Amino acid sequence: MNLEKVIFGFFIVLAMTLNFGFFLGDIDNPSHHHVYELYAAIVVSLIATVLKFGDRTHVGAILLSTSLAADLQLITAAILWAALSGKMDEPSLITYIVSLSGGALMANFVSVILLIAETIGQRR
Amino acid sequence: MNSILFLILRRLRRPLILIIVCFSIAIFGLTLMPGLDNEGRPWHMSIFEALYVISYTATTIGFGEIPYAYSQSQRLWLTISIYLTVIPWFYAIGKIITLLQDTALRAAITTERFARAVKALQEPFYILCSYGESASVLARTLDEKGMRVVVIESQQERLNELDLAETYSVIPHLCADAKLPENLIRAGVHHPLCSGVVTLTDNDEVNLAVAVAVKLMNPTLPVLARAERDDIAANMASFGTDHIINPYTLFGDQLAMRVHAIGTYILHEWLTDVPGDTLLPPETPPRGRWVVCGYGRFGKSVVENLERENITTTIVEAMPELTGCDECIVGSGTESKTLLEADIENAVGIVAGTDNDINNLSIVMTAYELNPKLFVVIRKNRRHNDTLFRQFNADITMQPTEIIAHECLAHMIAPLLAQFLTLVRNQSNSWANQLISELVSVVGETVPERWAITVSKDSTPAIAELLGKSTPVSLHNLTQDPANRSIRLNLVPLLLLRDGVPMLVPPVSTALQMGDRVLFCGTPDARSALPTLLNNSKILTYVIDGIEIPDSLVWRWLKQKLQ
Repeated sequence: MNLEKVIFGFFIVLAMTLNFGFFLGDIDNPSHHHVYELYAAIVVSLIATVLKFGDRTHVGAILLSTSLAADLQLITAAILWAALSGKMDEPSLITYIVSLSGGALMANFVSVILLIAETIGQRR
Repeated sequence: MNSILFLILRRLRRPLILIIVCFSIAIFGLTLMPGLDNEGRPWHMSIFEALYVISYTATTIGFGEIPYAYSQSQRLWLTISIYLTVIPWFYAIGKIITLLQDTALRAAITTERFARAVKALQEPFYILCSYGESASVLARTLDEKGMRVVVIESQQERLNELDLAETYSVIPHLCADAKLPENLIRAGVHHPLCSGVVTLTDNDEVNLAVAVAVKLMNPTLPVLARAERDDIAANMASFGTDHIINPYTLFGDQLAMRVHAIGTYILHEWLTDVPGDTLLPPETPPRGRWVVCGYGRFGKSVVENLERENITTTIVEAMPELTGCDECIVGSGTESKTLLEADIENAVGIVAGTDNDINNLSIVMTAYELNPKLFVVIRKNRRHNDTLFRQFNADITMQPTEIIAHECLAHMIAPLLAQFLTLVRNQSNSWANQLISELVSVVGETVPERWAITVSKDSTPAIAELLGKSTPVSLHNLTQDPANRSIRLNLVPLLLLRDGVPMLVPPVSTALQMGDRVLFCGTPDARSALPTLLNNSKILTYVIDGIEIPDSLVWRWLKQKLQ
């Protein structure tokens, strides 16, 4: 067992599950989507990105790019939230945010698939 | 570039994760701390506000308590946050600074920058492997001629010299071992515009390794290599090194040429010197018995060439068993006893050819005292001793680095020149004298420019067009001034190469054919005027018949009607 792989896998799966938790619920109902869950998703996603830094393998490069895609959408969602809260009616604002987090969820999903593929391909 | 980026990212992984974790804890905690707004209502910071507060706190900017005065619990948490975030922040900054000072990283960055500079070159360029004495002369001259150069050199001090030198165009340089193929690739061996590799280090093995590597990687690329040992030279020749330069053999040849054909020698010197210099008329070495001090590679070459000219020699050598001379006087030649033993008083010339400059000067000074009428040939090893040698003012000063540089220039500036010089060596002395007087009358006393042209569609479209219309173009037309056909341009065609057959100093009445290669020498003005004739068929027609072709459609139509 490799501690590095454990930590790495943990953060990738955690990023996806947190993202999924935030995404789950009615798209226009603010009470279904908690701001702290988005916050946690961003933090974990950023850590997962940094963990992939410096990995020279091809799979490592793709993992880094999927993470960057997820970060980009989650941070855009957070910026929208900070900039537009109070200026827009809540249901339509939350629709934007949740749909962006949905995009990030897809990227995280690809990340996890790659991780699984790599694990299965491991000969040892 | 990739490797550097990944190196940085990998080193920064730990500090970045630490920053993210500490910031996230601090931000999260701050949103939980209860506060009171101006009207005394309970208030919680949003995540965005907390991010803002922690960001300015951690970077020690500090804007105070925004938007409302903080409650005790918020202040408590901020106190913890300051310690929690400032430390990783500084840790990360420190790490970045250490990383920038990392020698491995800096080496990687300079290498990468060099490779990028070479890749970006848009003009033909030469690769110089070493920046020693001869290579620096070469680089400077090529730079003055507007040709691009790339330098690989393993000693940083020499490159510092290059950094400080004033050059017209930037010379990309790298401190690296030229023997390693990857460095040669970075220097542009595979670059489509690379026109050749010149390896002039004072180590034969290095030159051999570079020549082999280049010939394996890009067999069509011309290679000029310096080789002092015969076995290395033979090895280089065996896999097609284009020009092998041995300064000692070259000097021996030149000395012999001076003894038996001074005119040929002057022509040779004049055409291989740096353009724009003025050449002093050389003195002819006297015939008679010579004393040669030092029987190393230099001495051997001198003796061999002098004996070919039927000049007898007396050899003085300090270590005869090492150099393998059978009949010689043992001694260094710096003291009068040895020189008297060599019968210096009845000799006509002395060659001071050891590899120690101070010894050479000492030999010559002692010999001068014994016989002031001596013709003096002295070998100068280090360029730094220039002042000492100038004080002495010998009849011939032989400096390997300059000989190498001039030989390389002959090959690089105009490839046909080397062929011309080989042919010249087989001509008589009077032929050479006649050519020199002709050249001096046309181009003047200073060293002329040499350049070659090829008659083809791409390089001389005007000639190709007229030949296509079966209008004959002769060499004479190329010597006429494009502005006034009765004035002659200051240039002389030296060699015409047609289907591999060379024609030495072709008569100007020769008609040109497609595929001809012509070597010219002339003034810089003539050189810059010639392209007008080669590229513009209107001007070329004017020069041939004195008829001006009208430019516009209407005038051409009118002219046709009038005829």
